[in-house]
Formats: sequence, C-alpha cells, structure tokens
Amino acid sequence: MLILKIAFRNIFRQKRRSVLTALTMAGGFTLAAISIGWSDGSYNFIIDMFTRNRLGHIQIHKNGYRDRPSLYKTIPNYRQVGEKIAGVKGVEGWTPRLFAAALASVGEKTSGVQITGIDPVHENQCTRFDKKIVQGKPFQFNPNKDVIMGKGLAKILRARIGDEVVIVTQGADGSIANDIYRLVGIVETGDKMLDRTVLYMHLRDAQDLLVLPDQVHEIAVIVHHLKQVPELAKQITKVLNNPELEVAPWQVFAHSFYQAMKADQEGMWIMLFVILLVVAVGVLNTVLMSVLERQREYGLLKAIGTQPNQIVLLVLNEVNFLALGSILVGALLGTAVNYLLSHQGITLPQAFTYGGMEFKTMYTEVNARSLYLPAITILLSAWIVSFFPALKAARTDPAKAMRIH
Amino acid sequence: MKNSEIVIKTENVTKIYSDNGIPVHALRGVDLTIHKGEFTAIVGPSGSGKTTLLNIISGLDMPTEGRVWLNNKLISEMSGKELSDFRRDHIGFIFQAYNLIPVLTVEENVEYIMLLQGVPKEERHKRVVEILKEVGLEGFEHRFPTQLSGGQQQRVAIARAMVANPSLILADEPTANLDSQTGSALLDKMRELNERTGMTFVFSTHDQMIMERAKRLVVLKDGHIEKDLWKE
Ligand SMILES: Nc1ncnc2c1ncn2[C@@H]1O[C@H](COP(=O)(O)OP(=O)(O)O)[C@@H](O)[C@H]1O
Ligand SMILES: [Mg+2]
Repeated sequence: MLILKIAFRNIFRQKRRSVLTALTMAGGFTLAAISIGWSDGSYNFIIDMFTRNRLGHIQIHKNGYRDRPSLYKTIPNYRQVGEKIAGVKGVEGWTPRLFAAALASVGEKTSGVQITGIDPVHENQCTRFDKKIVQGKPFQFNPNKDVIMGKGLAKILRARIGDEVVIVTQGADGSIANDIYRLVGIVETGDKMLDRTVLYMHLRDAQDLLVLPDQVHEIAVIVHHLKQVPELAKQITKVLNNPELEVAPWQVFAHSFYQAMKADQEGMWIMLFVILLVVAVGVLNTVLMSVLERQREYGLLKAIGTQPNQIVLLVLNEVNFLALGSILVGALLGTAVNYLLSHQGITLPQAFTYGGMEFKTMYTEVNARSLYLPAITILLSAWIVSFFPALKAARTDPAKAMRIH
Repeated sequence: MKNSEIVIKTENVTKIYSDNGIPVHALRGVDLTIHKGEFTAIVGPSGSGKTTLLNIISGLDMPTEGRVWLNNKLISEMSGKELSDFRRDHIGFIFQAYNLIPVLTVEENVEYIMLLQGVPKEERHKRVVEILKEVGLEGFEHRFPTQLSGGQQQRVAIARAMVANPSLILADEPTANLDSQTGSALLDKMRELNERTGMTFVFSTHDQMIMERAKRLVVLKDGHIEKDLWKE
C-alpha cells in the first residue's frame, strides 16, 4: 500500500535525524543484547562453576544432614540409590561422597582436615575431578591408601607428592581410627577456602577408616540442562520414594548464593528500563519534529480522502521501519559481540571472588532472550512515544493545515 | 447549462471565525448554485472569503450557519467518514501549492486516490497513463515532484484531481504560485479538459488574466456575492 511506501520513504527525508534516531535504537539494542548475554552468561557460568564443578546440581542426603551434618547421618546402600537416580531421564551422572573431620600430619606439621571420600570413576565423570589435579596423579581404580590434598592444605603441611600422611579421626563405631596414607596428588578446586582443608580419599578407604561400610553422606547429581534442575529434583524424589532421604536442588542447598544470583539478574531489568527511556526520548524528538513539519502533508492526505486511522498507521509505520532496521543492525552487532565473547570470554582486569570461587574470565551467552527482550524494549518505547504524535497527525484539520504558507 | 444537474447548492452560508475571541465574518449569507459542466471562477481580493467558501463547499470546513448540498446530499448530515469518502469519490482538489506528496512519484501521486478506492492495479496504471497524456505529462510517471517545474506540478495536481472522475473539481488559486504565462496555460488546459470531458470546475483567483478564461464569474466582496456574471 502507498501509505507504507510513504512511511518508508519519509525516513530518508531527514537523513541526519533518521540516522541519529536509528543509531540510538541500534545502540540501545546492542547494549541491551550484550548486557543480557553477559548477565545470563555470567549467571550460568557462575552457577556452573558452583554446581557442576563440585557441589552438583542436586544433592541427596539423609534427612537433617544439611542442617546438622553428622558422621552418623548416612545414606545406606548408596549404589542402589545411585542406580535409581541414573535411570531418570535428563540426569548426566551421580557421585557419592563421605565426609569426616580429621587431623592430618606430614612430618612435623599437623592440621585439621576435611576427609572427603570419593569414587574416582563417578567423581571424574560428574565433576571432572582429575582435571583439577595440578600436581601428581589421580586415584587408581581400586583403593590404594592414596590421598589427594587441596593446594592450600599441602602448603600448610609442607607436603610433597610421595610423602606419608598420618590421619587420625574417630570411627563410626566410636573407636579411634588412624592410618598412614600416601600423598599422590594436589588439587585446586576453585574454592581457596576449601583447598586449605580438603583431603580426598578413595571412597572405600574412607569407608574403612570411618567404619561406614557401603554408606555415604551425600550423593551429588549432575544434570544435562541447568534449567531442568527443579523438575528433575522432583522426579528423583518420586523415583527414590524414601522419606528418610532429602533431595535438594542447588537453589535450596545453596540458598544464599541463589538469592545473590537473583538480585544480580534484577539489575538487567533496571538497565532495560533505562534503555527504554533513552530510546523513548530520541524517538519522541524525531516523531514530534516530523509530525510538526508535515502538517500540510497530513492535511492534504486527509483532504483527498485519507482516513485518520491511515494517518496513524503512516506515522507509526515510519517509526516501525526505523525501529526494525535498527533492531536488525543491533541484533547482528549484539549477536556478533555476544558470540565472540562467549568463546573468547572477557578477562576481568581484576579477578573477583564469589562465594569462595575466583573468577578471572567471564563468558557471555548467545540466547533468544538477548534478542527478544531488547527488541520488545525498543519497539515498546518507540510505540509509546509515537502514539500521541500519530494521533495528533491524524487529527490534522485539512482546512487549517492547507492555509499554512 | 442552467438546466443541467445541480452539483452544489449553498443556502445562506455564513462563516464566522474567531480570531482570539474577536469574531471575523468571512462569509455573510452566500447563496450559490453550481451546475454540472460549469467552468466557474470565484473572484475577489485577498480576504474576501474565496478559500472559506471553497472549503465549505467541499466539506473541509463547516459553515456557522446555512446549508450546503453536494450532489443533492446535505453535508451537515454526513459523518466524518462519509464526508471523507465523499470527498475522495466526488471532489478533486487542486490547491495553490504543496499539492503533491513529495516522496511519491508522479504516477504514485496520481494513483493515490484510486488506491484508496480500491481500483485494481491494471486499471490504475491505464488511467494514470491516460490522464498524464491529457495534461501533457507523458513520460513523467517516475519523476518525483521536486524534479518538476511549478507548472508541471500543478498539472500533476489536475491529473490527480481528475483521475477518479469526480463530480466536481475545486481549485483554490491554482495559478497563484505560477508566472502569468504558465498560469494562463494551466487555465487553458483546465478549460480544454472541461470542454472535452464535461467535468465541472470551480476555481478561485484574484488574477484578471485568469478570470477572463472562466465561463462564469462569481465576485465575492467582504463575504458576500457582489456579482454573478455569465459569459457566452
Ligand atoms: N482560521 C481562521 N481564523 C480566523 N480568521 C480566518 C481564518 N481563516 C480565514 N480567516 C479570515 O476570514 C477572511 C476570509 O479569508 P479567506 O477565505 O482565506 O479569503 P481569501 O481566500 O479570499 O483570501 C479573512 O479575513 C481571513 O483573515
Ligand atoms: Mg485564499
């Protein structure tokens, strides 16, 4: 229709003004797209670091363990439990853990440690434990009285690969348990606090030491998609069907972390609102100017039989064309930058720690939200401010407008 | 001529504008009847009420008092949309200036009304070509208004006014922005079209040379008809 043609060609009448408006919109879009990509990217990155790396997406404990951990609150027959979990669709893996406080000595040095008994096969599959070993080698398949320490702990104990490590603790039967182990590896978990206390052991060695045969304190579950965690937690609860066990998604077992992440995401909405305002002012200026300049044209169009609603469409579509063009440019630019930064990452000038984790490089994300949220923002602000000028144009009195010379 | 159909009839048309609260009597009881096929000039000095009268005849403006019939329809009884459609289908406008949409080509400007009317594409194109030939602008279809002279632009305006076969063509000082030679030529063209097609033309002017080309002169003075002269 000719109305659309007029709307489209009108864009090119005041090139400088249109370019400025388009730049505002495209710039706003790009900024919004990158911010959302960054926000979502770092959100998922931090959560992944937090969960996939060590804690797991979902944790299973004996009831009450999370609130008051105790040596005695264990999951019996953990393998059966694990196999049931593995059968749930969407679950990537599960890994059992046994925890206990102990004293560890290397030569003259002694320190309090947290024994963490792990199954090397499951732990590697779920949290890539072997990749975190910075010195030495991983556990063997069978228990061999080997231990792996956090880097900080090794420093405190002045321990070196191959050193003997004497461990003293209390067994579940009430006996004093002690034994000698060999340090085979040093790990960096990403959590410096943890690295100062953690001492990993083969699960069966830990079960023997603590006299907890076939029992674990925790089963951590890794799922394929972060988004599915709440749903899968429900399914696992159903499958286990055991009122003695508690199934907690990361949002629950890392509650304060979850709250912090949510607060972080709210910043995004504020930013979108600011972009909406900036775009609105830019578009309002342009639309008002053109509507004032073109009164005689609207008068002429009405005189020769154009309906007021067609004039509204004329004004709105001019803004629409400009907005769509800008969105296209912004989408290309925003996606390109997001794509680049999702691969290259942004190396922060100063690493920051979040919940004990250190972050040096952040990654953006290319997702639908980073495109449709800015698009909605831009279109909405353009429409809101164009609507009243468009109505004004539609109300042009042709008799008056044609008298302006 | 007086025996043919009546296109316009006004009865005691009065228009009082308000200029910051001060009433301005632009028209004081105008009775005018225009028949089909007329070529009539509304003449009078600036401020005598020519534009006001033409605007009221076309329904662009409403009289303060009095009644107007267009094709025997009382315009005060039409709704906004009816009036707008009526203008589109029955009246062709030619203004003094700024007649054309600057971003549309000659062809698009001329076909605009037919598009509003929903005339099919083939038919539109055919009529555009025909009418441009009539006004002597063959081959100018794809030019934009800025690429035309003032006289050519007014001829495009005539083409647009005539293309939908309206009952009446209203031209408010169509030659005021043209030099006298171009203006006279434009009027000759209008008169030729009037004679060949029988279309009704009412135009206003204060130019002696232009009014001489009319078949009927309606002389306005201070908002009333001072003289109504038939030539021939
Ligand atoms: N919108 C208006 N408000 C107030 N006065 C007006 C308005 N339009 C026209 N007039 C006055 O009405 C009178 C007739 O004007 P007009 O019809 O334009 O005359 P003409 O076209 O013959 O020059 C003039 O005195 C003019 O100043
Ligand atoms: Mg006038």
